[in-house]
Amino acid sequence: MTALLSMEDLTGGYGDADILMDVSLHVDADEIVAIVGPNGAGKSTAMKSVFGLLSIRSGKMLFDGDDITRWAPNRIVQRGICYVPQVDNIFREMSIHENLEMGGFLRKGDLSAAYDRVYTLFPDLKERRRTPAGSLSGGQRQMVAMGRALMLDPKLLLLDEPTAGLSPKYMEQIFQICRDVRDTGVAILLVEQHAKQALAFADRGYVLAAGRNRHEGSGADLLADREVAEMFLGG
Amino acid sequence: MELFELLNFYVIPGIVLGSIYALGAVGITLIFAILRYAHLAHGDLATFGAFVALACVTGMGIPPLAALPIAILVTAAIAVGIDKVFYEHLRDRPKIVTVMASLGIALMLRSVVQVVWGVDTQTYSRGIVRPEDYFGLRIRDRELYTVAALIFLVGGLQLFLTRSKWGKAMRAMSDNPNLALLSGIDNRKVVMLTWVIAGGLCAASGFFLGYNTEIKSMMGWHMLLPMFAAAILGGVGRVEGAVLGGLIVGIAEELSVLVIPSEYKAAMAFAILLFMLLVRPTGLLKGKVL
Ligand SMILES: Nc1ncnc2c1ncn2[C@@H]1O[C@H](COP(=O)(O)OP(=O)(O)OP(=O)(O)O)[C@@H](O)[C@H]1O
Ligand SMILES: [Mg+2]
Repeated sequence: MTALLSMEDLTGGYGDADILMDVSLHVDADEIVAIVGPNGAGKSTAMKSVFGLLSIRSGKMLFDGDDITRWAPNRIVQRGICYVPQVDNIFREMSIHENLEMGGFLRKGDLSAAYDRVYTLFPDLKERRRTPAGSLSGGQRQMVAMGRALMLDPKLLLLDEPTAGLSPKYMEQIFQICRDVRDTGVAILLVEQHAKQALAFADRGYVLAAGRNRHEGSGADLLADREVAEMFLGG
Repeated sequence: MELFELLNFYVIPGIVLGSIYALGAVGITLIFAILRYAHLAHGDLATFGAFVALACVTGMGIPPLAALPIAILVTAAIAVGIDKVFYEHLRDRPKIVTVMASLGIALMLRSVVQVVWGVDTQTYSRGIVRPEDYFGLRIRDRELYTVAALIFLVGGLQLFLTRSKWGKAMRAMSDNPNLALLSGIDNRKVVMLTWVIAGGLCAASGFFLGYNTEIKSMMGWHMLLPMFAAAILGGVGRVEGAVLGGLIVGIAEELSVLVIPSEYKAAMAFAILLFMLLVRPTGLLKGKVL
Protein backbone atom coordinates (compact mmCIF):
# COMPACT_ATOMS: atom_id res chain seq x y z
CA MET A 1 0.00 0.00 0.00
CA THR A 2 1.32 3.43 -0.85
CA ALA A 3 1.33 6.12 1.79
CA LEU A 4 -1.36 8.80 1.86
CA LEU A 5 1.28 11.51 2.21
CA SER A 6 4.92 11.09 1.48
CA MET A 7 7.57 13.72 1.73
CA GLU A 8 10.75 12.68 -0.06
CA ASP A 9 14.12 14.33 0.62
CA LEU A 10 12.61 17.75 0.98
CA THR A 11 14.96 20.74 1.19
CA GLY A 12 13.66 24.28 1.52
CA GLY A 13 13.04 27.32 3.70
CA TYR A 14 11.39 30.72 3.91
CA GLY A 15 13.78 32.63 1.70
CA ASP A 16 17.40 32.11 0.89
CA ALA A 17 18.44 29.95 3.82
CA ASP A 18 17.21 26.36 3.88
CA ILE A 19 15.58 25.29 7.13
CA LEU A 20 14.73 21.72 6.16
CA MET A 21 17.49 19.49 4.84
CA ASP A 22 16.53 16.27 3.06
CA VAL A 23 13.57 15.61 5.30
CA SER A 24 11.55 12.51 4.49
CA LEU A 25 8.45 11.25 6.16
CA HIS A 26 5.22 9.53 5.34
CA VAL A 27 1.74 9.14 6.75
CA ASP A 28 -0.55 6.25 5.93
CA ALA A 29 -4.30 6.51 5.83
CA ASP A 30 -5.86 6.03 9.30
CA GLU A 31 -2.56 6.73 11.01
CA ILE A 32 -1.57 9.23 13.69
CA VAL A 33 2.02 10.35 13.20
CA ALA A 34 3.87 12.66 15.58
CA ILE A 35 6.85 14.89 14.84
CA VAL A 36 8.89 15.75 17.92
CA GLY A 37 12.18 17.53 18.47
CA PRO A 38 13.74 20.51 20.20
CA ASN A 39 12.59 24.11 19.72
CA GLY A 40 13.62 25.50 16.38
CA ALA A 41 14.18 22.03 14.92
CA GLY A 42 11.98 22.83 11.96
CA LYS A 43 8.88 20.93 13.05
CA SER A 44 6.46 23.71 12.17
CA THR A 45 8.41 24.36 9.00
CA ALA A 46 8.03 20.73 7.94
CA MET A 47 4.30 21.01 8.47
CA LYS A 48 4.05 24.26 6.51
CA SER A 49 5.96 22.65 3.66
CA VAL A 50 3.16 20.09 3.26
CA PHE A 51 0.74 22.96 2.89
CA GLY A 52 2.68 24.78 0.19
CA LEU A 53 3.78 27.65 2.42
CA LEU A 54 7.48 27.20 1.84
CA SER A 55 9.84 27.72 -1.04
CA ILE A 56 11.02 24.22 -1.81
CA ARG A 57 14.43 23.79 -3.37
CA SER A 58 14.46 20.08 -3.96
CA GLY A 59 12.61 16.92 -3.12
CA LYS A 60 8.94 16.21 -3.58
CA MET A 61 5.64 15.76 -1.86
CA LEU A 62 3.08 13.20 -2.93
CA PHE A 63 -0.45 13.09 -1.63
CA ASP A 64 -2.99 10.47 -2.52
CA GLY A 65 -1.53 9.93 -5.99
CA ASP A 66 -0.82 13.58 -6.83
CA ASP A 67 2.48 15.44 -6.83
CA ILE A 68 1.52 18.48 -4.73
CA THR A 69 5.04 19.85 -4.27
CA ARG A 70 4.36 23.19 -5.90
CA TRP A 71 0.64 23.53 -5.37
CA ALA A 72 -0.84 26.67 -3.82
CA PRO A 73 -2.46 26.30 -0.38
CA ASN A 74 -6.04 26.75 -1.59
CA ARG A 75 -5.61 23.95 -4.09
CA ILE A 76 -4.14 21.72 -1.39
CA VAL A 77 -7.11 22.45 0.89
CA GLN A 78 -9.48 21.43 -1.85
CA ARG A 79 -7.51 18.24 -2.43
CA GLY A 80 -8.10 17.13 1.17
CA ILE A 81 -5.45 18.43 3.56
CA CYS A 82 -6.43 20.84 6.31
CA TYR A 83 -3.99 22.63 8.55
CA VAL A 84 -4.25 24.02 12.07
CA PRO A 85 -1.36 26.46 12.64
CA GLN A 86 0.51 26.64 15.93
CA VAL A 87 -0.64 30.21 16.67
CA ASP A 88 -3.47 32.47 15.48
CA ASN A 89 -5.54 29.52 14.45
CA ILE A 90 -9.04 30.93 15.03
CA PHE A 91 -11.08 33.93 13.90
CA ARG A 92 -11.29 35.72 17.25
CA GLU A 93 -14.01 38.19 16.42
CA MET A 94 -16.28 35.60 14.91
CA SER A 95 -18.54 33.18 16.72
CA ILE A 96 -17.69 29.50 17.06
CA HIS A 97 -20.30 28.67 14.47
CA GLU A 98 -18.94 31.26 12.05
CA ASN A 99 -15.45 29.86 12.53
CA LEU A 100 -16.77 26.49 11.43
CA GLU A 101 -18.63 28.07 8.54
CA MET A 102 -15.38 29.66 7.31
CA GLY A 103 -13.70 26.28 7.62
CA GLY A 104 -16.33 24.91 5.25
CA PHE A 105 -16.09 27.89 2.92
CA LEU A 106 -15.03 25.87 -0.11
CA ARG A 107 -17.77 23.34 0.34
CA LYS A 108 -20.76 23.77 -1.90
CA GLY A 109 -24.27 23.10 -0.70
CA ASP A 110 -25.54 22.04 2.68
CA LEU A 111 -23.07 22.09 5.54
CA SER A 112 -25.33 20.59 8.18
CA ALA A 113 -23.71 17.13 8.10
CA ALA A 114 -20.30 18.75 8.60
CA TYR A 115 -21.57 20.84 11.53
CA ASP A 116 -23.12 17.74 13.09
CA ARG A 117 -19.87 15.86 12.86
CA VAL A 118 -17.85 18.64 14.50
CA TYR A 119 -20.42 19.27 17.21
CA THR A 120 -20.54 15.54 17.95
CA LEU A 121 -16.78 15.49 18.40
CA PHE A 122 -16.85 18.69 20.47
CA PRO A 123 -20.12 18.84 22.42
CA ASP A 124 -18.76 21.80 24.45
CA LEU A 125 -18.70 23.91 21.32
CA LYS A 126 -22.29 23.27 20.38
CA GLU A 127 -23.62 24.90 23.55
CA ARG A 128 -21.54 27.99 22.91
CA ARG A 129 -21.92 28.24 19.18
CA ARG A 130 -22.81 31.95 19.28
CA THR A 131 -19.85 32.90 21.52
CA PRO A 132 -16.98 34.85 19.94
CA ALA A 133 -14.08 32.42 19.63
CA GLY A 134 -11.62 34.96 21.07
CA SER A 135 -13.32 34.83 24.46
CA LEU A 136 -12.85 31.07 24.93
CA SER A 137 -10.24 29.28 27.03
CA GLY A 138 -7.09 27.91 25.40
CA GLY A 139 -8.41 24.37 25.21
CA GLN A 140 -11.71 25.45 23.74
CA ARG A 141 -9.93 27.58 21.16
CA GLN A 142 -7.93 24.57 20.12
CA MET A 143 -11.18 22.68 19.65
CA VAL A 144 -12.57 25.49 17.50
CA ALA A 145 -9.37 25.44 15.45
CA MET A 146 -9.61 21.68 14.94
CA GLY A 147 -13.31 21.92 14.22
CA ARG A 148 -12.71 24.57 11.58
CA ALA A 149 -10.15 22.34 9.90
CA LEU A 150 -12.50 19.34 9.90
CA MET A 151 -15.34 21.13 8.13
CA LEU A 152 -13.99 20.29 4.68
CA ASP A 153 -13.87 16.59 5.55
CA PRO A 154 -10.12 16.28 4.91
CA LYS A 155 -8.24 13.05 4.35
CA LEU A 156 -5.28 14.39 6.31
CA LEU A 157 -5.27 16.80 9.22
CA LEU A 158 -2.13 18.72 10.15
CA LEU A 159 -2.00 19.86 13.79
CA ASP A 160 0.81 22.07 15.00
CA GLU A 161 1.17 21.69 18.78
CA PRO A 162 -2.50 21.14 19.55
CA THR A 163 -1.80 20.79 23.28
CA ALA A 164 0.57 23.73 23.78
CA GLY A 165 -0.20 25.48 27.04
CA LEU A 166 -2.98 23.10 28.01
CA SER A 167 -3.40 21.31 31.33
CA PRO A 168 -2.76 17.53 31.38
CA LYS A 169 -6.49 16.94 31.59
CA TYR A 170 -7.13 18.95 28.42
CA MET A 171 -4.15 17.32 26.72
CA GLU A 172 -5.69 13.90 27.30
CA GLN A 173 -8.97 15.20 25.97
CA ILE A 174 -7.39 16.56 22.78
CA PHE A 175 -5.53 13.27 22.24
CA GLN A 176 -8.77 11.37 22.71
CA ILE A 177 -10.46 13.62 20.16
CA CYS A 178 -7.58 12.94 17.75
CA ARG A 179 -8.27 9.22 18.09
CA ASP A 180 -11.97 9.81 17.50
CA VAL A 181 -11.17 11.87 14.43
CA ARG A 182 -8.84 9.18 13.15
CA ASP A 183 -11.60 6.62 13.65
CA THR A 184 -13.76 8.65 11.28
CA GLY A 185 -11.15 7.98 8.59
CA VAL A 186 -8.87 11.02 8.85
CA ALA A 187 -5.11 10.58 9.04
CA ILE A 188 -3.34 12.97 11.42
CA LEU A 189 0.15 14.42 11.33
CA LEU A 190 0.91 16.40 14.45
CA VAL A 191 3.79 18.30 15.92
CA GLU A 192 4.17 17.95 19.68
CA GLN A 193 6.15 19.67 22.38
CA HIS A 194 5.04 17.08 24.93
CA ALA A 195 7.21 14.45 23.26
CA LYS A 196 6.72 11.56 25.66
CA GLN A 197 2.96 11.78 25.79
CA ALA A 198 2.79 12.30 22.06
CA LEU A 199 4.95 9.28 21.23
CA ALA A 200 2.97 7.18 23.66
CA PHE A 201 -0.25 8.11 21.92
CA ALA A 202 0.81 8.21 18.26
CA ASP A 203 1.15 5.20 15.97
CA ARG A 204 4.50 6.34 14.70
CA GLY A 205 6.87 9.19 15.29
CA TYR A 206 9.73 11.17 13.78
CA VAL A 207 12.43 12.97 15.71
CA LEU A 208 13.61 16.07 13.90
CA ALA A 209 16.67 18.08 14.93
CA ALA A 210 18.34 21.01 13.21
CA GLY A 211 16.17 20.55 10.13
CA ARG A 212 17.09 16.90 9.58
CA ASN A 213 15.57 13.50 10.25
CA ARG A 214 17.20 11.98 13.30
CA HIS A 215 15.07 9.02 14.29
CA GLU A 216 11.89 7.35 13.26
CA GLY A 217 9.86 4.39 14.31
CA SER A 218 6.78 3.31 16.16
CA GLY A 219 5.96 5.44 19.19
CA ALA A 220 6.83 2.60 21.55
CA ASP A 221 10.20 1.94 19.88
CA LEU A 222 11.20 5.58 20.03
CA LEU A 223 10.25 5.78 23.68
CA ALA A 224 12.35 2.70 24.36
CA ASP A 225 15.36 3.99 22.41
CA ARG A 226 18.05 5.13 24.84
CA GLU A 227 19.58 7.77 22.59
CA VAL A 228 16.23 9.33 21.83
CA ALA A 229 15.38 9.30 25.50
CA GLU A 230 18.63 10.95 26.53
CA MET A 231 18.81 13.54 23.78
CA PHE A 232 15.21 14.53 23.28
CA LEU A 233 12.99 13.32 26.04
CA GLY A 234 14.99 14.61 28.97
CA GLY A 235 16.43 11.22 30.07
CA MET B 1 -30.96 80.39 23.08
CA GLU B 2 -34.01 78.23 23.10
CA LEU B 3 -34.01 74.50 22.49
CA PHE B 4 -35.67 74.55 19.08
CA GLU B 5 -33.22 77.07 17.76
CA LEU B 6 -30.36 74.84 18.89
CA LEU B 7 -31.95 71.79 17.28
CA ASN B 8 -32.97 73.48 14.03
CA PHE B 9 -29.82 75.43 13.32
CA TYR B 10 -27.11 73.24 14.78
CA VAL B 11 -28.12 69.69 15.72
CA ILE B 12 -30.18 68.79 12.66
CA PRO B 13 -27.59 70.14 10.19
CA GLY B 14 -24.98 68.35 12.31
CA ILE B 15 -26.78 65.02 11.98
CA VAL B 16 -27.08 65.52 8.22
CA LEU B 17 -23.41 66.43 7.83
CA GLY B 18 -22.53 63.58 10.18
CA SER B 19 -24.47 61.10 8.05
CA ILE B 20 -22.50 62.25 5.03
CA TYR B 21 -19.21 61.79 6.87
CA ALA B 22 -20.39 58.43 8.16
CA LEU B 23 -21.00 57.10 4.65
CA GLY B 24 -17.39 57.89 3.75
CA ALA B 25 -15.95 56.78 7.08
CA VAL B 26 -17.51 53.32 6.79
CA GLY B 27 -15.62 52.80 3.53
CA ILE B 28 -12.37 54.04 5.07
CA THR B 29 -12.75 51.70 7.99
CA LEU B 30 -13.55 48.71 5.74
CA ILE B 31 -10.52 49.37 3.56
CA PHE B 32 -8.35 49.64 6.63
CA ALA B 33 -9.78 46.46 8.14
CA ILE B 34 -9.14 44.37 5.05
CA LEU B 35 -6.27 46.00 3.19
CA ARG B 36 -4.56 47.62 6.19
CA TYR B 37 -3.85 51.02 4.69
CA ALA B 38 -5.28 54.53 4.88
CA HIS B 39 -6.95 55.36 1.58
CA LEU B 40 -6.31 59.04 0.94
CA ALA B 41 -8.20 59.16 -2.35
CA HIS B 42 -11.47 58.56 -0.54
CA GLY B 43 -12.55 62.19 -0.56
CA ASP B 44 -11.86 62.73 -4.23
CA LEU B 45 -13.59 59.49 -5.09
CA ALA B 46 -16.64 60.98 -3.33
CA THR B 47 -16.31 64.12 -5.46
CA PHE B 48 -16.16 61.95 -8.53
CA GLY B 49 -19.35 60.16 -7.48
CA ALA B 50 -21.11 63.50 -6.93
CA PHE B 51 -20.18 64.64 -10.43
CA VAL B 52 -21.27 61.38 -12.04
CA ALA B 53 -24.68 61.97 -10.47
CA LEU B 54 -24.61 65.55 -11.78
CA ALA B 55 -23.85 64.29 -15.28
CA CYS B 56 -26.88 61.99 -15.07
CA VAL B 57 -29.11 64.81 -13.81
CA THR B 58 -28.09 67.28 -16.52
CA GLY B 59 -27.51 64.76 -19.30
CA MET B 60 -30.52 62.48 -18.87
CA GLY B 61 -32.85 64.91 -17.16
CA ILE B 62 -33.59 62.54 -14.28
CA PRO B 63 -34.16 63.71 -10.70
CA PRO B 64 -31.11 63.70 -8.40
CA LEU B 65 -32.28 60.75 -6.28
CA ALA B 66 -32.72 58.65 -9.42
CA ALA B 67 -29.15 59.51 -10.40
CA LEU B 68 -27.80 58.23 -7.06
CA PRO B 69 -27.91 54.49 -7.86
CA ILE B 70 -26.16 55.12 -11.16
CA ALA B 71 -23.45 57.17 -9.43
CA ILE B 72 -23.02 54.38 -6.85
CA LEU B 73 -22.56 51.73 -9.54
CA VAL B 74 -20.19 53.80 -11.67
CA THR B 75 -18.05 54.84 -8.69
CA ALA B 76 -17.91 51.27 -7.38
CA ALA B 77 -16.66 50.13 -10.79
CA ILE B 78 -14.08 52.93 -10.89
CA ALA B 79 -12.88 52.00 -7.39
CA VAL B 80 -12.40 48.39 -8.44
CA GLY B 81 -10.60 49.57 -11.56
CA ILE B 82 -8.26 51.86 -9.60
CA ASP B 83 -7.40 48.97 -7.31
CA LYS B 84 -6.69 46.62 -10.20
CA VAL B 85 -4.58 49.11 -12.13
CA PHE B 86 -2.73 50.90 -9.34
CA TYR B 87 -2.97 49.35 -5.87
CA GLU B 88 -2.89 45.65 -6.62
CA HIS B 89 0.75 45.62 -7.66
CA LEU B 90 1.75 47.31 -4.42
CA ARG B 91 0.08 44.74 -2.15
CA ASP B 92 3.33 43.03 -1.12
CA ARG B 93 5.22 46.30 -0.63
CA PRO B 94 5.21 48.26 2.63
CA LYS B 95 1.75 49.78 3.16
CA ILE B 96 3.09 53.33 3.14
CA VAL B 97 3.77 52.92 -0.57
CA THR B 98 0.07 52.36 -1.22
CA VAL B 99 -0.85 55.28 1.03
CA MET B 100 1.36 57.58 -1.06
CA ALA B 101 -0.05 56.07 -4.25
CA SER B 102 -3.57 56.81 -3.02
CA LEU B 103 -2.57 60.45 -2.54
CA GLY B 104 -1.50 60.48 -6.19
CA ILE B 105 -4.83 58.91 -7.19
CA ALA B 106 -6.60 61.64 -5.20
CA LEU B 107 -4.87 64.34 -7.24
CA MET B 108 -5.53 62.47 -10.44
CA LEU B 109 -9.24 62.01 -9.74
CA ARG B 110 -9.55 65.69 -8.90
CA SER B 111 -7.87 66.67 -12.18
CA VAL B 112 -10.23 64.42 -14.11
CA VAL B 113 -13.19 66.05 -12.39
CA GLN B 114 -11.85 69.55 -13.08
CA VAL B 115 -11.09 68.83 -16.72
CA VAL B 116 -14.41 67.15 -17.44
CA TRP B 117 -16.77 69.26 -15.34
CA GLY B 118 -14.82 72.48 -14.71
CA VAL B 119 -14.06 74.20 -11.45
CA ASP B 120 -17.29 76.16 -11.03
CA THR B 121 -19.70 75.50 -8.23
CA GLN B 122 -22.80 73.63 -9.39
CA THR B 123 -26.04 72.28 -7.96
CA TYR B 124 -28.35 69.36 -8.70
CA SER B 125 -31.44 71.56 -8.71
CA ARG B 126 -31.97 75.29 -8.66
CA GLY B 127 -34.04 77.30 -6.27
CA ILE B 128 -34.32 77.41 -2.52
CA VAL B 129 -36.14 74.62 -0.73
CA ARG B 130 -37.99 75.67 2.39
CA PRO B 131 -37.93 73.21 5.26
CA GLU B 132 -41.12 71.56 6.43
CA ASP B 133 -42.25 72.06 9.97
CA TYR B 134 -42.52 68.96 12.15
CA PHE B 135 -43.87 70.09 15.52
CA GLY B 136 -41.38 72.92 15.58
CA LEU B 137 -38.49 70.96 14.05
CA ARG B 138 -37.64 72.37 10.64
CA ILE B 139 -36.41 69.62 8.33
CA ARG B 140 -35.94 69.60 4.57
CA ASP B 141 -36.89 66.52 2.58
CA ARG B 142 -33.33 66.15 1.32
CA GLU B 143 -32.15 66.00 4.92
CA LEU B 144 -34.55 63.16 5.62
CA TYR B 145 -33.33 61.34 2.50
CA THR B 146 -29.74 61.71 3.62
CA VAL B 147 -30.33 60.14 7.02
CA ALA B 148 -32.59 57.49 5.49
CA ALA B 149 -29.87 56.60 2.98
CA LEU B 150 -27.35 56.18 5.79
CA ILE B 151 -29.68 53.87 7.70
CA PHE B 152 -30.60 51.91 4.60
CA LEU B 153 -27.08 51.51 3.20
CA VAL B 154 -25.28 50.80 6.46
CA GLY B 155 -28.10 48.57 7.68
CA GLY B 156 -27.84 46.62 4.45
CA LEU B 157 -24.08 46.40 4.82
CA GLN B 158 -24.38 45.09 8.37
CA LEU B 159 -26.83 42.43 7.24
CA PHE B 160 -24.46 41.48 4.45
CA LEU B 161 -21.47 41.24 6.80
CA THR B 162 -23.24 39.18 9.43
CA ARG B 163 -25.53 36.97 7.34
CA SER B 164 -24.03 36.27 3.95
CA LYS B 165 -21.22 33.89 3.15
CA TRP B 166 -19.09 36.50 1.38
CA GLY B 167 -19.79 39.09 4.04
CA LYS B 168 -18.49 36.68 6.65
CA ALA B 169 -15.51 36.01 4.40
CA MET B 170 -14.76 39.74 4.51
CA ARG B 171 -14.86 39.69 8.30
CA ALA B 172 -12.68 36.58 8.34
CA MET B 173 -10.11 38.24 6.10
CA SER B 174 -10.06 41.26 8.38
CA ASP B 175 -9.84 39.11 11.51
CA ASN B 176 -7.07 36.71 10.48
CA PRO B 177 -5.88 36.98 6.86
CA ASN B 178 -3.59 33.95 7.03
CA LEU B 179 -6.23 31.65 8.39
CA ALA B 180 -8.70 32.96 5.80
CA LEU B 181 -6.27 31.92 3.07
CA LEU B 182 -5.72 28.53 4.71
CA SER B 183 -9.50 28.07 4.70
CA GLY B 184 -9.50 28.59 0.95
CA ILE B 185 -11.10 32.05 0.94
CA ASP B 186 -10.12 33.85 -2.25
CA ASN B 187 -8.66 37.14 -1.06
CA ARG B 188 -8.82 38.74 -4.49
CA LYS B 189 -12.59 38.41 -4.49
CA VAL B 190 -12.77 39.77 -0.96
CA VAL B 191 -10.65 42.76 -1.96
CA MET B 192 -12.83 43.41 -4.98
CA LEU B 193 -15.96 43.25 -2.87
CA THR B 194 -14.42 45.69 -0.42
CA TRP B 195 -13.84 48.20 -3.20
CA VAL B 196 -17.35 47.77 -4.57
CA ILE B 197 -18.80 48.57 -1.16
CA ALA B 198 -16.37 51.37 -0.27
CA GLY B 199 -16.68 52.96 -3.72
CA GLY B 200 -20.48 52.81 -3.64
CA LEU B 201 -20.69 54.34 -0.16
CA CYS B 202 -18.20 56.99 -1.24
CA ALA B 203 -20.42 58.04 -4.13
CA ALA B 204 -23.40 58.25 -1.78
CA SER B 205 -21.38 60.43 0.58
CA GLY B 206 -20.34 62.83 -2.19
CA PHE B 207 -23.82 62.86 -3.65
CA PHE B 208 -25.50 63.81 -0.40
CA LEU B 209 -22.95 66.52 0.33
CA GLY B 210 -23.71 67.98 -3.08
CA TYR B 211 -27.45 67.46 -2.64
CA ASN B 212 -27.52 69.31 0.68
CA THR B 213 -25.05 72.04 -0.29
CA GLU B 214 -23.24 72.51 -3.58
CA ILE B 215 -21.04 70.44 -5.88
CA LYS B 216 -17.44 71.61 -6.07
CA SER B 217 -14.29 69.93 -7.29
CA MET B 218 -12.63 70.36 -3.88
CA MET B 219 -15.58 69.17 -1.79
CA GLY B 220 -14.29 65.65 -1.25
CA TRP B 221 -10.79 66.73 -0.33
CA HIS B 222 -12.25 68.88 2.44
CA MET B 223 -14.22 65.88 3.69
CA LEU B 224 -11.16 63.66 3.98
CA LEU B 225 -10.04 64.80 7.41
CA PRO B 226 -13.50 64.62 9.03
CA MET B 227 -14.04 61.17 7.50
CA PHE B 228 -10.75 59.87 8.89
CA ALA B 229 -11.48 61.51 12.24
CA ALA B 230 -14.83 59.71 12.26
CA ALA B 231 -13.30 56.33 11.42
CA ILE B 232 -10.64 56.65 14.10
CA LEU B 233 -13.04 58.08 16.66
CA GLY B 234 -15.33 55.10 16.25
CA GLY B 235 -12.52 52.54 16.33
CA VAL B 236 -10.89 51.54 13.07
CA GLY B 237 -12.38 48.38 11.59
CA ARG B 238 -15.77 48.96 13.21
CA VAL B 239 -18.63 49.77 10.86
CA GLU B 240 -20.98 50.88 13.63
CA GLY B 241 -18.10 52.88 15.12
CA ALA B 242 -17.61 54.76 11.86
CA VAL B 243 -21.30 55.71 11.85
CA LEU B 244 -21.14 56.89 15.45
CA GLY B 245 -17.88 58.74 14.77
CA GLY B 246 -19.34 60.42 11.68
CA LEU B 247 -22.35 61.68 13.58
CA ILE B 248 -20.22 62.98 16.46
CA VAL B 249 -17.83 64.80 14.13
CA GLY B 250 -20.70 66.29 12.10
CA ILE B 251 -22.61 67.51 15.15
CA ALA B 252 -19.43 68.79 16.80
CA GLU B 253 -18.54 70.79 13.68
CA GLU B 254 -21.95 72.45 13.55
CA LEU B 255 -22.01 73.15 17.29
CA SER B 256 -18.47 74.55 17.24
CA VAL B 257 -19.65 77.76 15.56
CA LEU B 258 -21.36 78.65 18.82
CA VAL B 259 -17.96 79.14 20.43
CA ILE B 260 -15.44 79.66 17.63
CA PRO B 261 -15.63 81.63 14.36
CA SER B 262 -17.24 79.54 11.63
CA GLU B 263 -14.15 79.70 9.42
CA TYR B 264 -12.52 77.40 11.95
CA LYS B 265 -15.31 74.83 11.80
CA ALA B 266 -13.12 72.44 9.86
CA ALA B 267 -10.53 72.49 12.65
CA MET B 268 -13.02 70.66 14.84
CA ALA B 269 -12.41 67.34 13.09
CA PHE B 270 -8.71 67.86 13.54
CA ALA B 271 -9.13 68.61 17.24
CA ILE B 272 -11.27 65.49 17.74
CA LEU B 273 -8.77 63.37 15.86
CA LEU B 274 -5.86 64.66 17.92
CA PHE B 275 -7.71 64.30 21.19
CA MET B 276 -8.76 60.76 20.35
CA LEU B 277 -5.27 59.66 19.31
CA LEU B 278 -3.89 61.01 22.58
CA VAL B 279 -6.57 59.74 24.92
CA ARG B 280 -7.89 56.53 23.40
CA PRO B 281 -6.19 55.57 20.14
CA THR B 282 -8.31 52.44 19.73
CA GLY B 283 -11.46 54.53 19.35
CA LEU B 284 -14.77 54.58 21.20
CA LEU B 285 -15.71 51.03 20.22
CA LYS B 286 -12.42 49.29 20.53
CA GLY B 287 -10.81 49.10 17.08
CA LYS B 288 -9.91 45.68 15.78
CA VAL B 289 -6.95 46.06 13.54
CA LEU B 290 -4.67 48.79 14.83
N1 LIG C 1 8.33 32.75 8.84
C1 LIG C 1 9.65 32.48 8.99
N2 LIG C 1 10.57 33.15 8.26
C2 LIG C 1 11.89 32.89 8.40
N3 LIG C 1 12.39 31.97 9.25
C3 LIG C 1 11.54 31.26 10.01
C4 LIG C 1 10.11 31.49 9.92
N4 LIG C 1 9.51 30.66 10.79
C5 LIG C 1 10.49 29.94 11.37
N5 LIG C 1 11.71 30.30 10.91
C6 LIG C 1 13.00 29.70 11.31
O1 LIG C 1 12.97 28.34 10.99
C7 LIG C 1 13.61 27.57 11.98
C8 LIG C 1 12.70 26.45 12.40
O2 LIG C 1 11.53 27.02 12.96
P1 LIG C 1 10.22 26.16 13.26
O3 LIG C 1 9.15 27.13 13.61
O4 LIG C 1 9.97 25.23 12.15
O5 LIG C 1 10.69 25.35 14.55
P2 LIG C 1 9.84 24.40 15.48
O6 LIG C 1 10.55 23.11 15.48
O7 LIG C 1 8.42 24.40 15.08
O8 LIG C 1 10.03 25.10 16.89
P3 LIG C 1 8.99 25.29 18.10
O9 LIG C 1 9.05 24.03 18.90
O10 LIG C 1 9.55 26.43 18.88
O11 LIG C 1 7.64 25.55 17.53
C9 LIG C 1 13.95 28.54 13.11
O12 LIG C 1 15.34 28.79 13.05
C10 LIG C 1 13.19 29.79 12.80
O13 LIG C 1 13.93 30.92 13.16
MG1 LIG D 1 6.65 25.14 15.90
